[in-house]
Amino acid sequence: MEKRELYDGIKDLESQTELMLTQFTEVRKALTEVMEENAELRIENQHLHDFINEQKENVENDNKKSRPRSSKSRENLEHLFNEGFHVCIEFYGSHRENDESCIFCNEILNR
Amino acid sequence: MKFSIKRSAFIQGINMVSRAISSKTTIPILTGLKLSASNEGLVLTGSNADVSIETVIDRNDADNELIIEEEGSIVLPARFFSGIVKKLPSDKMTLSVANGFQTEITSGTSSFTINGLDAADYPHLPEIENDNEISLSGDVFKEIINQTVIAVSNQESRPILTGVHFVLKDGTLFAVATDSHRLSQRKVALPDNQGEYDVIIPGSSLSELSKMISDDTENVKMKITENQVLFTIGNTYFYSRLLEGTYPDTSRLIPKDSETNVQFDAYELLGAIERASLLSHESRNNVVKLTIKANVKQVTISGNSPDVGNVEEEVESKEVVGNDLEISFNPDYMKDALRAFGHSMINVAFTSSLRPFTLVPSEDAENFIELITPVRTF
Repeated sequence: MEKRELYDGIKDLESQTELMLTQFTEVRKALTEVMEENAELRIENQHLHDFINEQKENVENDNKKSRPRSSKSRENLEHLFNEGFHVCIEFYGSHRENDESCIFCNEILNR
Repeated sequence: MKFSIKRSAFIQGINMVSRAISSKTTIPILTGLKLSASNEGLVLTGSNADVSIETVIDRNDADNELIIEEEGSIVLPARFFSGIVKKLPSDKMTLSVANGFQTEITSGTSSFTINGLDAADYPHLPEIENDNEISLSGDVFKEIINQTVIAVSNQESRPILTGVHFVLKDGTLFAVATDSHRLSQRKVALPDNQGEYDVIIPGSSLSELSKMISDDTENVKMKITENQVLFTIGNTYFYSRLLEGTYPDTSRLIPKDSETNVQFDAYELLGAIERASLLSHESRNNVVKLTIKANVKQVTISGNSPDVGNVEEEVESKEVVGNDLEISFNPDYMKDALRAFGHSMINVAFTSSLRPFTLVPSEDAENFIELITPVRTF
């Protein structure tokens, strides 16, 4: 009788561990999603802030010519690159493993 | 099929084609070596679907002592067959195919019988019909290969970068390879060769080919079709598939001007980099730092690993011109690049700590250039 209880106990434990593992996986996935969303929101927020500042500046320098903003898109690319992603045509969007260097990205960032 | 031959000549041929034969192939017959005896001589073939090598043992060359009694062809298991031939007791050997595909190999008092396969099942080698042939001297070609394959990518996730990009245009041959961290480009003037080519040859095929080019190889001939390239070295034919796709435009990657220029002895710099990399290999990011102080003409290489310690070495430089600079890079790329220069003097040109820097030989700077991207350190 004791052996049977032991067996049942272990079986219970097994199913509980399995359940826990699934929950872990789910939580980890959820966390990844949240992190991605967080990164997106950060960038979006930065954009909005920049936009507001720009609008303010525009109002301030109403009669002056607004300053050239050609580097805006490059800043975005550089930001992406520093976050650990390729920005070159060849591998755009793929992850840079171990923060590796890339000739193609470098060329685009310094064009 | 029946022939007898001098064993040393046969072994030479077997070694040649064995380079292409792999025991790990999805097509079972390709683990075999194809022999076919005809009027002209004995043809040996080995293949692994990507690369095929064919060599002809000439019947008219007395050195080979080749006597063909009966024509025909057979495929024999390469691993056993080459092992057997190398171990046979006498200088001469006889091979005959009896009924079915049973093959008898005799030499001296020894006799083997091994099971062969039908040669009719062996894949046909690509037919290269192209009159336009590029001819290069063996040592130049070997140099081109060895200078470019070092920069080829070994990541299968980027198939196109696993090849060397060959472009023939206006009588100049360009060979370029990059794995996106470094780049290597060689230029050779071929005024006699007209025509235009733009192909990507797998780096692994080229490495194999360069091993087959010996010092006494006179010329290597190259013929290109849509998806195959054929190299002819004497009596040996080397076929390789080409990589499909478009190679990234590399012409814009090479910086045109520079801020800091230093001249080194490549061999001395290599030694210093090798010493610095002993420690950098232990650290997570594997970088060494080069510090240039132009006003006092001082160049220092340093590496450190938080767990082990650090190293600093002053490198002798012949000439230091331009601005002060600190730049970090992966020493392994630098080592590969420097080995390609041997003992010669090189010019290293830097733009900034974030831009790629270039290495060129001090003499003949036009024809060979290597590019290395620095590692961003924050």
